[in-house]
Amino acid sequence: MTAVRRRTRSERRSILLTALAVVVAALFILPALWLLSGSLRPSNEIFGTLSPVTWRTLVPSEVSLGNYLALLSGPFGRSILISFAVCFLTVAIGLVVSALAAYALSVLRFRGRGAVFAFVVISFMVPFEAIAIPLSQLFSGWGLTNTLLGLVLPGIGNGLAIFNLRQHFLSIPTSYREAATVDGAAEPRVLWSVYLPLGGAALANSALLIFLGQWSAYLWPLLVVSDSSLQVAPVALARTFGEYTFDFGQNFAGAIVLSVVPALMMFVLQRFFGGLEIASGEK
Amino acid sequence: MNRRHVLAAASGIAALALVGACSSGGSGGSGDSGDADWSIPDTDPTATIQVLGHQDADGIQEVIDAFNEDHPTITVEYESVPFDQLNSVLDARIGNQDGNPDVFWADQPRIPALAARGYMTDITDQFAADTGVWDPAPLASGQYDGRMWAVPIANSTQLLYYNVELVEAAGDPLPSAAIEDRMTWEEVTERAANAVEAGATNGLLFGQVNRYYQLQPLPMSLGGSAGGTGDDLLTPDVTSEPWVQAMEWYGELFAEGLSPLGVTPEQSDAEFLTGNTAYMVQGPWLLPKLTDAEFEWGVAPHPYFEGGEVVTPTGSWSLAMSAFSDEREAAAIFMRWMSVEHGGGYAANYASPELPASPEGKEQYFQRDVFDSDAGQLAAEIIDFETSNTAVPRLQTVGFVEFEEIIGRAFSDVANGADPAAALESASSELETAWAQYR
Amino acid sequence: MSRSSSAVSAAPSGAQRRLGASPAPRRQLRRRKELFWAVVFLAPALVAIGSLRIAPTISAVVSSLYSGFPGGVRPPVFSGFDNYLDLWGNEAFRETVLRTVVFNVIINPLQVAIALLVAVLMTRRIAAPGLWRTLVFIPAVVPIVGSSIVWSIALRPDGPVNAIITALGGRPQPFLTSPDQALASIMLIASWIGIGYWMIFLISGLRAIPSEYYEAAKLDRAGPIRTFFQITIPLLKRPLLFVLVADTVANFVLFVPIQMLTNGGPQNSTTMQMFNAYRTTYTYSSKNLGAAEVVILTIIMLVFVALQFRLLRDDDRAAKGTS
Repeated sequence: MTAVRRRTRSERRSILLTALAVVVAALFILPALWLLSGSLRPSNEIFGTLSPVTWRTLVPSEVSLGNYLALLSGPFGRSILISFAVCFLTVAIGLVVSALAAYALSVLRFRGRGAVFAFVVISFMVPFEAIAIPLSQLFSGWGLTNTLLGLVLPGIGNGLAIFNLRQHFLSIPTSYREAATVDGAAEPRVLWSVYLPLGGAALANSALLIFLGQWSAYLWPLLVVSDSSLQVAPVALARTFGEYTFDFGQNFAGAIVLSVVPALMMFVLQRFFGGLEIASGEK
Repeated sequence: MNRRHVLAAASGIAALALVGACSSGGSGGSGDSGDADWSIPDTDPTATIQVLGHQDADGIQEVIDAFNEDHPTITVEYESVPFDQLNSVLDARIGNQDGNPDVFWADQPRIPALAARGYMTDITDQFAADTGVWDPAPLASGQYDGRMWAVPIANSTQLLYYNVELVEAAGDPLPSAAIEDRMTWEEVTERAANAVEAGATNGLLFGQVNRYYQLQPLPMSLGGSAGGTGDDLLTPDVTSEPWVQAMEWYGELFAEGLSPLGVTPEQSDAEFLTGNTAYMVQGPWLLPKLTDAEFEWGVAPHPYFEGGEVVTPTGSWSLAMSAFSDEREAAAIFMRWMSVEHGGGYAANYASPELPASPEGKEQYFQRDVFDSDAGQLAAEIIDFETSNTAVPRLQTVGFVEFEEIIGRAFSDVANGADPAAALESASSELETAWAQYR
Repeated sequence: MSRSSSAVSAAPSGAQRRLGASPAPRRQLRRRKELFWAVVFLAPALVAIGSLRIAPTISAVVSSLYSGFPGGVRPPVFSGFDNYLDLWGNEAFRETVLRTVVFNVIINPLQVAIALLVAVLMTRRIAAPGLWRTLVFIPAVVPIVGSSIVWSIALRPDGPVNAIITALGGRPQPFLTSPDQALASIMLIASWIGIGYWMIFLISGLRAIPSEYYEAAKLDRAGPIRTFFQITIPLLKRPLLFVLVADTVANFVLFVPIQMLTNGGPQNSTTMQMFNAYRTTYTYSSKNLGAAEVVILTIIMLVFVALQFRLLRDDDRAAKGTS
């Protein structure tokens, strides 16, 4: 005869806490759902269902991609391409700069390495906005305004990317490097053939950090680009928000488009590289 | 002593070298003033000039094409920058002190400020013969410190538009377009309230809501100043009785639901065109849009406060020559064609009707087909009268940029329900600080 | 793991080396080669720092020591610390600094506390924790431009938030158009996307607490609240502090919702330091004064970032078991 074992209190899933979790999650997700549903319906319907709040506020009467089509065929569509171009370029250059620096700061030995490490990471961790204004004036003098390079350059230095990569490099056994150098490989070779292949997740994390930092950049593109055909997506969206407040639908669609890209990136990287260990990031 | 110092020093030196190469501290080259060592030549040079403005490039291209028919050897490269960015882009470009742009669109009330900053070339001698061409207010707007800095290419005034159906539904008689029957703001307020009661969404809508351009006549109609007094008009004067009263009236419009919150200047025309607004104060540029209106509309003169002065907003854009232009003669020829020739080449050729700054230009302007309708004809008479008689230019002070921004925020706060006296006090003290550097 | 093992394998005790028939010149050569490569590898980063961080800072400092006519064309004159004295004497600027500080003193602990509570909730025994966690995190991928758009419409006088408030019996609130509520509304916009983000960090921090502590607490018959304050919080100190400082760094330079939605108003109630520096430089064209404001802001940021770095390093060292 088997005894029926009663679940102890701590093992039972708490209904109360679950309910609380549902409420909290709902509070966070409802505005996002409203945003999504608003992007799928015409603007005057958003207007019409603003108040009072009924189920109609959240559910479109018919789902249409009209807002997306209109938005993407306009100047915003171009700005999305610009944003992608800027972000990919930044990641490409930024990863190189970060990996090189991280390698030097973790594998190579020299006096004062700790101080240089602190100096490099702190310099890049100072939020960009703080020095954006004087930097934009310098860029203006250097002829980098309204250029792709001008948009890319400030994003290549990401302190946390370097920090992360360094941590990861430190965890790779030095015996690999020893073996390679004994074989006559110079440092670049060691970096390329030994550390980088082993650095998958850390590289992905760093790439993500750099990408996210550039993707949502607002103040810098605002200062450096006056030509609307070279403007990035967040600024372009904000500009249409001022002009076309009547057309909420397109604004919402733009916000969704802007959010989907980072979400997809995180999702893809999570799948490929496992737990994302974002130590922190610029917001 | 050791490696880390070397590394740090290397980057530091690199930085300093970069900074030194393009200093932002002191820089040479100031705008020049009053040299007559160049003049507008009789034969056109062959040159290319860069022009910076806020208007749509396609529209301006038609004007440039017309210019090239008269002056084929001068190539004009026009660059369009959104209105709200024009000033900061201009600051950056002129700050570069190269020849780009040669000519730029200058907002008339900002001309003293821009001239004082050294952005413009003194053109007094070169345009001395043309000063009789323009109306007095636009001409005065280009002058500062006894010199001339910009040439007017457009002017403006304001009219009171009304939606016939909504006015009739409110049970009011249609306003008269005759100057002598000009309504008071008090009357308009009552009519707006009637219209809203009868179902109109908006009773009264200002075209350039919360902007100094639009609201300047309110305190001035009550006897107040344009906002500044004293030497060089650098003493704030926005807390006087007329200013407070005018703002109380303005704030109540929103508080009582006669005017909508949240409609920006860029959206106001579209708002009126939906047919939900009974009365709107807007410039003549609304007329061509009204030809497609789905409702009957009419015009009346700009209102005034009972017992007060009749004053109307005025002013628009001028062209100025950069202090660092490298193609002065060509630039001057372009500017002269735009503002003087044919009554003002710009106004004559720009597709959308722009009120010219000269009497000759105005004659052509009133021939435009937008004035063909009955209402259009009445509008033309009002426009003519106002520009010649009741227009008051905005505050002409070196500190205009700060003034416009600060007082605009105060207007916005009042519209959003702030206490008018407090908002104006706060604006006044901000102005004191901002203008301290100019005195 | 890393540091100690590398010390052992890479450089056996110097004393032993020196005593034997040491290939000292080879070691020196190797050292010099490493240094060479270190310089080469660090060069891009250092040049980037030099040109993208140091140069603008020096430029701002230099510019702040001059006073010029607005516009920047008329040559400015050297004026020493006049700009700083002017700012100090300017009531509006002092209020801006105060407002920025107060904003940060309120919003950062608040965001972190809420993130912590939500993180704790999500790590209890509940049904489908991963789902709720994801839902809370989703707003974090919305860029702040998007959040500003959504909330500015939601907080309209005729918007859904006011509709819910009136349905519950309250009166509609002015939110972004009121000088008393505008800053709080900005906090809301920043928090909606921030809290989910920090929650993730705190969840991993919570998970790192060994369960033995909780079991010991249970044996002691400690209630949930006592457990929370006496076990959870102390063991979470490092990640908590890190999140707090990182959040401060981000919020101190908050710019987007202010520039997009309120333009510093109403009545300057949302004018904070970053926006003020922007306005001074670009709207009033007072470059030198704006540079002084930037310098002040940068100094404050440097302090916070240095602190953040310290915490990051300590946190990391603790995780790796070295100290």
